Amino acid sequence: MDQQTITLDSQYALELVGLRREFGDKVAVDDVTIHVPRGSFYGMVGPNGAGKTTALSMAVGLLRPSAGRAVVEGVDVWADPVAAKRRLGVLPDGLALPERLTGGELLTYWGRFRGLDAAAVASRSAELIRILELEEAEALGTLVGEYSTGMRKKIGLATALLHAPSVLVLDEPYEAVDPVSARVLTRILRRFTETGGSIVISSHVMSLVEQLCDRVAIVAEGRVVADGTLDEVRAGVSLEDRCVGLVSTPSVDEEELSWIGS
Amino acid sequence: MDRILIALKFTLLRNSTKGLRIAGWVIGAGLVAGTWFAAAAASGDDVRGTVLTLAFAGWVVGAALGPTLVSGSGALRPDYFALLPIDRRALGRGLLVSTFVGIGSAYVLLAFVAAAVHAVALDPLTLLIVLVGAPLTWIFAITVSRLVYGLLGAAMRSKVGVEIAGIQFGLMFAAIFTGWMVVQAAVKNIPALIQYGLPEGPITVVLDAFPSSWPLIAIERAAAGDWTAAAMLLAGLAVVDAVLVLATAAVLTPRENVVTRRRAGARRSAALVDGGGILPATQLGAVIGKEYRQWIRDPWRSLEVRSGVWTGVAIGFFALVSGDYSVLAAFSGLIVVFMMGLAGLNLYGQDGTAVWQTIVGQDATSIRSDVRGRQWAVVLVFLPHALLITAIFIVITQHYWVVPAVVAALPALFGVASGAAMITSAVGVSPGVDPRRRVGPNDANGNVSLHVWVVMFLTAIGVLPTAAVVVWSLVAPSAAVSVVAVAVGLLNGWLVAWLYGRIAIGYLASRMPDVYSRIRYGRVFREQSDGVLDWLAKSTLKGEQEMVARRQKERQDKIAARTRA
Repeated sequence: MDQQTITLDSQYALELVGLRREFGDKVAVDDVTIHVPRGSFYGMVGPNGAGKTTALSMAVGLLRPSAGRAVVEGVDVWADPVAAKRRLGVLPDGLALPERLTGGELLTYWGRFRGLDAAAVASRSAELIRILELEEAEALGTLVGEYSTGMRKKIGLATALLHAPSVLVLDEPYEAVDPVSARVLTRILRRFTETGGSIVISSHVMSLVEQLCDRVAIVAEGRVVADGTLDEVRAGVSLEDRCVGLVSTPSVDEEELSWIGS
Repeated sequence: MDRILIALKFTLLRNSTKGLRIAGWVIGAGLVAGTWFAAAAASGDDVRGTVLTLAFAGWVVGAALGPTLVSGSGALRPDYFALLPIDRRALGRGLLVSTFVGIGSAYVLLAFVAAAVHAVALDPLTLLIVLVGAPLTWIFAITVSRLVYGLLGAAMRSKVGVEIAGIQFGLMFAAIFTGWMVVQAAVKNIPALIQYGLPEGPITVVLDAFPSSWPLIAIERAAAGDWTAAAMLLAGLAVVDAVLVLATAAVLTPRENVVTRRRAGARRSAALVDGGGILPATQLGAVIGKEYRQWIRDPWRSLEVRSGVWTGVAIGFFALVSGDYSVLAAFSGLIVVFMMGLAGLNLYGQDGTAVWQTIVGQDATSIRSDVRGRQWAVVLVFLPHALLITAIFIVITQHYWVVPAVVAALPALFGVASGAAMITSAVGVSPGVDPRRRVGPNDANGNVSLHVWVVMFLTAIGVLPTAAVVVWSLVAPSAAVSVVAVAVGLLNGWLVAWLYGRIAIGYLASRMPDVYSRIRYGRVFREQSDGVLDWLAKSTLKGEQEMVARRQKERQDKIAARTRA
C-alpha cells in the first residue's frame, strides 16, 4: 500500500523494474529496467529474439514475470491490473483477433467491451476507420482474418487507441505497413504525444526509431545494453552502428556465400 | 514426377499417428473380409448379385466421405506445390496418381475383386470380366474420392465442405453413442439380407444403375451368353472413369489467382457499427454479438454446430431404422443440445491468442461479461437447430406424448450444457493451430479427450433434478405433473447455468493471463494449488504437453531410424 501511494504521482508513464522471465533454462528477459518519462516517445530496439516482445508482454499484463515489476503511471500492472489497464493501449505483435469480424464490428465490440457508450464507440470507430484508410475493406464486408498484415496492424492500432488511453505500448507497429499508411501512423502517434500521451514502441528498424523517438533502449539477449535519450545512446554515431557495435553479430567473410550471384 | 509425389505421400503417411493408422488397417481388413464373406455366404446367385452391388456402392460412398475425416495425413494438397516451376497439368495428374497408392486404396481394390466369387459361381470364364471390371471400379471409387476431397477445398474453405465434414463427424458421433442400435438391427437383418437379398423395387433399380454395379451385371450378362452387353457395360464404366479422371486432374491443378481473389461483398452489420444493433450496447451485449458472429462465420465453429446438428439427425435416423427403439428418435433435439456442451468445451483454446483482448481490456466486470456472453451466444446459436430437429422428429415418430418431457428437458440441458462447456473452456484451455494458420477440420482443438468426459459428467449431474421429474411424468403422466416438470426444467437450467458459469468466472478472475500462457507458450507460469479445478487444469495441460512430446518423440525416432539406416 505504501509503495503505491509513493509512486502514485509518478513522473513516469511506464517503469519496468528488474523485470525477468525464464522459459525453462533459457532466460528470455534478464533484469530489464527502463523508465519511460511521461510525454516521451520511447523506442525499444534490438535484434530478433532479443526479448522485446516478452518484456512488453509482461509490461501490459499478458505474461507473468518471474521477477520484477511493471508500473504504469504509478500503478502496478500485476497488483492493480484494472486501474493499470484503463491507462494502457496495447498493440501486440502477431497475435490473433476475433478473425471473423469486420474492422467496424471489431471496434464496436471492443469499444462496448471497454465500457464506452454506443454513440462514442460509433463516432470514434468511424473516424479511425476513415483515417486509417480501412473504409473500402469495411464497405466490402472484409473480415479481419482476410486483412493483409499491414491492415491488421492498422486495425490493431485502432483498438489500442479507441478507449483514449494515456500510455500506448506498441509492438512492431510499423511492420508491413506501406509508406503512405506509415505517414498516417506517424501523424497519429505524434499527435498522441503532443497532447500529453506517452508511447513505447519496439522495432528493429533503427532509422524509424531515430526519426520518431526521443528516448531509446537497446535490448540484446534479454538485457538492456544501453538506454537514455536518443543522443546519449547514439553517442555521435548512427543508432544502427551503435546497436550493431553493442550486439555480437555473425561475420560474413569474403569467401563465404561466394555462390550467391554466381 | 509421379514417383516423387508417391514417395512424398508415403513420407506423409509415415508421419501420421501410428495408433490411428493401425486402427485403420484393422477396420479396413475387416471390411474387406466382410465383403468377401457376404459374397461367399449369399444364398443364391440373385441374392449374391444384390448383396455385392450394395456392398460395392457402400465402398464407393465410404471412399468418397472418408478422406475428410483423416485430413492431412496422406493428402497432398495442390497449393503445396503452387510456387514450384513445374508443369501444372503434370502436377494435377501426379497428385491424382498418388491417391491410388496406399493401404486404403489397396483395400478398396481387394473388395472389388470379391466380384470373382460371383463370377466363379456363375461361369468361371467370366473371371475375365473381373480382371477388367475390378480395376475399373477401383479407378472409379478412388477418383470419386479424390474429386470429392478436391472439391471440398481441404474441407474448411467452403460452406459445402464444412457441411460434409459435419455429416461425417455427426455419423461418427452417432455411431459411437448409439451405433449399437444399428448393429443390433443389422445383426438381425444381415442374415436375412444374405438369405433373401433386397426386395425388388426402387432401391435395386438405383443400385443397378450405379457404376460400381456394372461389372457385376456384366458378369451376369456374360454368364447368360450375352458377351456384347457385358463388353458394353465395361466400356461404359471405362468412359465414366475417363471423364472423372480428366475432371479430377483439372480440379487438382493449382490455380494462380486463388490468393489474390477479392471478394466483392457488401457492408456487414451497418446498424451495429453505426451505434445501434439488436443487442444492448453493454459489455455483455458486445460479447454476445461478437461470439454469435464468430459461431456463424468461423468454419471451425460452424463445423462444431453442424456436427452437433448432424449427430442429432443421425441418432434420430438410427433410432428410426432400428425399429425397436424408434421412440428415442423423438428425443433427437436433446442430442443436439447435449452436443452443444461438447461444441463449446474449448472456447478460449479455439479463439487462440485472440484472448489477449480479454486480458488487456480487463475491468471490474469484464470476465463475468465474457463468460456470460459466451454462454448466451452458444445457446442462441444452437436453439433454433434444437427446436427444429425436435419438431421434425416428433412429427415423424408421431410420439406426441413425449412433448412435455422434451419441453422440460430442453431448457435444463441448454442451461447445464452451456455452463459445463464454460468450465472446461476456462480450466482446460487446449489450443489448436492459431486461427489464421488453420487448414484441416481438426486444427481448432488440441488434446480435448479429458474435456469430453468432464462435460458429459457435469451435464449428467447437472440435469439430475429434471431427469427425475421427467421420469416421474413419463411413469405417471398427468397435466399437473407435466407443468411441474417444465417448471423444474426451466429452474434447473437457469440455476445450473448460473452456478457453472459462476465457477468459471471465479476460476478465471485471477487466471486470465494463464489462459493466454497456455495458448501462447503451452505452459502456465504460476504455482497451482490443490483444488479440483486446479487438478483438472494440471491434467488437461499435461495431456496437452504429452501430446506435443509424443509427436516430437515420434519425429525424433523416425529421424534416428533414418540416420541409422
